[in-house]
Amino acid sequence: MFDKAKARVEARQEARRVPPALDAEVAAAQAHERDKGLTKHSFEPHEHPCVRIEHLMKTFDGETQVLTDVNLTVWPGEVVCVLGPSGSGKSTMLRCINLLETPTAGHILIEDNEITGHLGTREVNKLRQNLGMVFQSFNLFPHLSAKGNVMIGQTKVLKKSKAEAEAEALKQLEAVGLLDRADFKPAQLSGGQQQRVAIARAVAMHPDVLLFDEPTSALDPELVRGVLDVMRDLAENGGMTMIVVTHEMGFAREVADRVVFMEGGVVVEQGKPEDVFDHPQHARTAEFLGSIK
Amino acid sequence: MDARSRSVACTIVLALAFVCALPVQAWGLTTNKATAKPNEDGGSEVIGGLPTRLTWEGTVEEGEKVSSIHLEIPADGSFAESTTKVTALEGLSRAPVESEVSADKNTLTVSFGEPIGEGLLIRLEIYNMTLPSTGGDVVVSGTYQNQDGEQKLKDSDPPIKTIANTPLQSMVNWLDNQEWVKQWNANQFLGMFLKPQLILTSLSSLFPGWLLCLGIVIASYPFAILLGLVFALMKISRHRLVRAIAIIYINTLRGTPLFLQIYIMFFGLPMMNINIDNNVLGIIVMAINSSAYLAEIFRAGIESIPQGQYEAAASLGMGHLQTMVNIILPQTIRRVIPTVTSDFIMAFKDTSLLSSVGVMELMMFSKNLTSVTGNMTPYVTAAIFYLIVTLPLIKVVSTIEKRIAKSERGGGPRPKAKAKKAEVAVVDGQAVGAEPSLVEALSAPFKAGTSVMGGTASVR
Repeated sequence: MFDKAKARVEARQEARRVPPALDAEVAAAQAHERDKGLTKHSFEPHEHPCVRIEHLMKTFDGETQVLTDVNLTVWPGEVVCVLGPSGSGKSTMLRCINLLETPTAGHILIEDNEITGHLGTREVNKLRQNLGMVFQSFNLFPHLSAKGNVMIGQTKVLKKSKAEAEAEALKQLEAVGLLDRADFKPAQLSGGQQQRVAIARAVAMHPDVLLFDEPTSALDPELVRGVLDVMRDLAENGGMTMIVVTHEMGFAREVADRVVFMEGGVVVEQGKPEDVFDHPQHARTAEFLGSIK
Repeated sequence: MDARSRSVACTIVLALAFVCALPVQAWGLTTNKATAKPNEDGGSEVIGGLPTRLTWEGTVEEGEKVSSIHLEIPADGSFAESTTKVTALEGLSRAPVESEVSADKNTLTVSFGEPIGEGLLIRLEIYNMTLPSTGGDVVVSGTYQNQDGEQKLKDSDPPIKTIANTPLQSMVNWLDNQEWVKQWNANQFLGMFLKPQLILTSLSSLFPGWLLCLGIVIASYPFAILLGLVFALMKISRHRLVRAIAIIYINTLRGTPLFLQIYIMFFGLPMMNINIDNNVLGIIVMAINSSAYLAEIFRAGIESIPQGQYEAAASLGMGHLQTMVNIILPQTIRRVIPTVTSDFIMAFKDTSLLSSVGVMELMMFSKNLTSVTGNMTPYVTAAIFYLIVTLPLIKVVSTIEKRIAKSERGGGPRPKAKAKKAEVAVVDGQAVGAEPSLVEALSAPFKAGTSVMGGTASVR
């Protein structure tokens, strides 16, 4: 019991050592410099990144350190794929961006607004409206039809009228190829179909950033393609900013603007897909990619 | 002394005073009484339309000689089949009397060979007559002949109370005369536990008790559900004090017998000068008791919803309350319906405990009837009444459980995919509700093809 408390105190002391978040202009300039050669995405000279992660640290129960020091910037319209062995902290980082996990220390800034620290519940809810999330286990609402799942966020959170929400829902379901399944309950859909409904649900909120947490890991191999096709379509035609935690190397290579390799709670290596896949700079990246092949 | 016996006493006292104090002025044959003997099937009651014995008594006043008496009852009654025994009493000794009786429908005329002299009591015992089958108060009226001609008889007072001869009563009478019923009742077990006549009469006389049972449990349940939900939410609250209050409430009520709670409420409140109608208090006690059990059911239901559902709702930007109302509770309702129904069955049966404090419910009625008849059949009938409610509900529980199990596997009929296209066209014009109403949520488990299963558990 005392060990835990002690660990918590130490974690807090550690947190104080994290420097304050950078000024927006400074950070943007630094990020421009750093990311220039790392992404296929072309950003404007004076553009600011839409997600900025600085020295992010996350400890569970004061002892299990999952994220040690994560630094990452994501540009509007960029598709970032996060790779790494299990336990490397990929999902935790993603969940921290959505505040589903509270960061222990460090800074996360969305559109230059800091979300770490003491946000009120209302501000957190407001923030989450702008961050769509697709879960590994779909997490569809089982009591609602596919259409109802896509509508509920619009009607309850965005306060749209039912007619408006329904039109939007059907549009999004059509985009993921499930218009004819609009009245089906989640349990009557295959895993792949469920995940596509979940994507439609997230997209219907028109978020600034879409977060994908291993969206195909729970799917049978033959169902993976349909989901990836939908995601590819979103990236290429929708111009959506996406952070995708995935094990799908093929998808990362083809669709991603940038690939980020994480291990041990830090970003080990990042760069354009062809650079990382074909010429990994770090031995651990090479090892991981080798083991996947 | 209740009001009726008081008024009877008053009447008697007044009548006596009248007779003693003013004998000369009260010149005429006085109707002392007119009574009817309870029929065999009526217990302590006189049933109209069934053979009974009417006794009429009158005293001949001073200086009077009565030569004939003419009795009349309401038109529906009948003397047609009757036989009449005429007695004249002088003090305690019987005076010789010669009489001739002629009966015609609702009138009966008794003529005396020798006029009856003053001071004698004339008693007419009319066997095998019937009173009106419609029930109610029956007054015997009529006239008599004395030496001065026809005089009017005073109406009998108090009137004879009769109850209506219902179809049920005639069925009982019919059963009485059946050979198989006699043989059935001759068997010690059947006659004691399943006497057909008593089953019939119990069914009718226990019915109000059964209604009260249902009324109490149905009235109490909405409150119980509401209270239960409140305490369930309190028990999963983040605040320790709120949680503690809920835990104390739930555990105290679940940890003590309902019987004790009933006693405390029914005897404790009047001690504090709080007097609440028995039935209302019964509803309150049942509601409070059930709420504790329901709170636990709801809490378990809410906690069985996977964490992923909260996260999905949160990722859409829903607040805590919105998540509860739109996502968690609708799913909880489906999950807990079988358990809540079971609890409803328990609560319905537990209303029987209220009989111990004088609530006139099913158990009370059957207890009374059993003690009057000395037969167990009313208890068996009460069992039938309980089963009428509980058996279908038990069936409902198992049906819902099967449906839920099926829909969790994604079974059941699917909506028609083709119908979709037509609906899409309509969308722009009119809103087509896709949101589940409360009614839909509640009825969902009864329909095929709805899912109550959450997504798989979330992964950190």
